[in-house]
Amino acid sequence: MSSIINNDILSPISSKRTRKEKLFKICGLSAIIFALSMLIILFITIFSKGYSAFYQTRIKLNINFNEELIDPTGAREITTLNTADYSKLISQSLFKFLNIDKNHPKSSEIKSLISYNSFLTLRDRVLNDPLIIGKTVKINLIASDDVDQMIKGNISLNISEENRKISDFQIEAINKLKSDGAILTVFNKTLFTKSDSREPEVSGVLGAIIGSFYCLFVAVCISVPIGVFAAIFLQEFAKKNKITDFIEININNLAAVPSIVFGLLGLSVFINFFHLPRSSPIVGGLVLALMSLPTIVIVTRASLLAVPDTIRDGAIALGASKMQAIFNQVLPLATPGICTGVIIALARALGETAPLLMIGMIAFIPDTPIAITDPATALPAQIFMWADHPERAFVERTSAAILILLSFLIVMNATAIYIRHKFEKKW
Amino acid sequence: MRQLYILDTNLRRNGKHMAEEQIIPISKFNKLKKSTSKKVTISVQNITVSYNGKIAVDNISMNINQNEVTALIGPSGCGKSTFIRCLNRMNDVIENCTIEGKIILNGINIYNPEVDIVKLRTNIGMVFQKPNPFPKSIYDNIIYAPKLHGLVSNKSESDDLVEKSLTEAGLFNEVKDRLNDSGTSLSGGQQQRLCIARAIAINPSVILMDEPCSALDPIASAIIEELIDTLKKKITIIIVTHNMQQAARVSEKTAFFHLGKLIEFSDTSTIFTNPKQKRTLGYITGRFG
Ligand SMILES: Nc1ncnc2c1ncn2[C@@H]1O[C@H](COP(=O)(O)OP(=O)(O)OP(=O)(O)O)[C@@H](O)[C@H]1O
Ligand SMILES: [Mg+2]
Repeated sequence: MSSIINNDILSPISSKRTRKEKLFKICGLSAIIFALSMLIILFITIFSKGYSAFYQTRIKLNINFNEELIDPTGAREITTLNTADYSKLISQSLFKFLNIDKNHPKSSEIKSLISYNSFLTLRDRVLNDPLIIGKTVKINLIASDDVDQMIKGNISLNISEENRKISDFQIEAINKLKSDGAILTVFNKTLFTKSDSREPEVSGVLGAIIGSFYCLFVAVCISVPIGVFAAIFLQEFAKKNKITDFIEININNLAAVPSIVFGLLGLSVFINFFHLPRSSPIVGGLVLALMSLPTIVIVTRASLLAVPDTIRDGAIALGASKMQAIFNQVLPLATPGICTGVIIALARALGETAPLLMIGMIAFIPDTPIAITDPATALPAQIFMWADHPERAFVERTSAAILILLSFLIVMNATAIYIRHKFEKKW
Repeated sequence: MRQLYILDTNLRRNGKHMAEEQIIPISKFNKLKKSTSKKVTISVQNITVSYNGKIAVDNISMNINQNEVTALIGPSGCGKSTFIRCLNRMNDVIENCTIEGKIILNGINIYNPEVDIVKLRTNIGMVFQKPNPFPKSIYDNIIYAPKLHGLVSNKSESDDLVEKSLTEAGLFNEVKDRLNDSGTSLSGGQQQRLCIARAIAINPSVILMDEPCSALDPIASAIIEELIDTLKKKITIIIVTHNMQQAARVSEKTAFFHLGKLIEFSDTSTIFTNPKQKRTLGYITGRFG
């Protein structure tokens, strides 16, 4: 008897089956390896391009807050302090450091080593503390993007001077600054404290982050309550008939509508009809809310459906009304699923660019938005715009902004996974 | 001889409807009932239930006595669950389910549109085939309904009620140290007793049990049977079961259903020893069903 069983186990049929199974496993495994390696390549390229944007070159200078230049009368009036020529303080100090006469033919090249906006730093120092006038203070000024790129080694010094962003004279000056220890590399705070700018060295993503945050805030406030209650009604209360079937089909279709269509809708309804301000996060948030609504409805219905009927019956048999049964017993059980779905829908909304295009949020907006009606841009929009600039400094900032966006998305998705695992109920 | 079949009424009373509904045709009543010593709790009159027009329960009339255990037996799909769910109007939540006929509880037709369905269900509790504790703590499982109906007002009352209900369900000693554990962490039999405790916490006069032991092993079933025996002193119990021995052990009255019809309804001893109908005999001897 036992020999028959053994023969059967060793039969060609079963070995053929094992072979097939092995082949299938290998196919699956190679697909996963392929996908993973693509992902890794993507991350490595973005990271290698973007990580250098997180630090920045500064030039440490002894700035003499010369009273004669700033406020010769000594009256310390705000307008005088506001309009003083602080750039001159910087160039004076720079010329002194490098031992160059201010009438040197190439003095303007030297001036451009420091970021054009640096005079604002000095002005703010003076406005904050007028007593600084007359003193000499060491200040780290942001270097221009060309200097920054040269220090980071992104500018090849072997090519001829005309084809280079930085002249021989400037290189000489930089080397002198370097040997005197005046060149510093510090963490690029500007990236997180400033908004967009024409000058890459002082541009940052703060405005875009706030814009994105406002958009998401508006989107959450609108789409979550509407979506969840619509789903509860459809799933638990609505009678199954032609109308609800029709609504259901349409919701499923809406989830597949290209996002740019929602942008068009936003443009024609919210901006042209309701006259909400163009480029504002409120409009962006409304559009993203519309976009995430179908997903939220679908996910909520699925989570409610996953709660077994025995729970509803149990509550109803105890004398709970249908509404009480749903809100006291069913909804709490569906909440983790709903949260997961909402977070994933919002993560998708956070990365959305196309609808923002239609409502003017892809625009150069150097101001950081304060209210949700202020013009603003969003992170993906900022990435889209920076990607258009040829300067090396913007290229690295594009990648850095992508990294920032990705980390937001990873945090959101990780939260979703955590909620799903932590609060998942078994029955 | 219009007897007073009106019991102490927990239900909302409505004089107008009562007057006409407490009238039970005595001829029919006498045909159904053998021993008249017991008072009637529930009188089912010509109940017909259909799903999408398909009849599942066909013109059933029966009287269920107070503080007795009534067992419903019959082959699968014969409408036992459908029938028992009519008694606390659980079928109301099923779409396309139409119910005709009357069910008189304490003199009031529970299908009267004016009946408060919440009050009805606090009077007629239900225990399901599959234990369905809420995935909350044992304590919360018990206290959910009393809180909902405002039966407890403070923590110590709640504690007392939880202890009392669990004790009555014979579960207290097993779970007293872990009242905050999830109800779903209990064993199947314990879960079912938790569901019974949950049902008796709101002090119902009737409990419906739809195959309460079908998911349990014989020992857990025996515990539930004992529990039914003690509960019936206070509560009228209607139990659906596929287990003939169980029906014979726990019930005073047995009703045999077949294809949506009530074939035979009388004392359990009669049904199991001397059934009038051939089909009943066939079923209890295992020849069909
Ligand atoms: N929700 C429903 N919708 C449509 N038909 C139903 C529904 N519930 C039950 N039925 C039908 O009603 C009839 C009686 O079902 P019911 O559940 O009452 O049987 P049962 O006697 O409890 O059977 P079992 O012993 O298997 O539990 C069956 O034919 C069933 O198909
Ligand atoms: Mg059943």
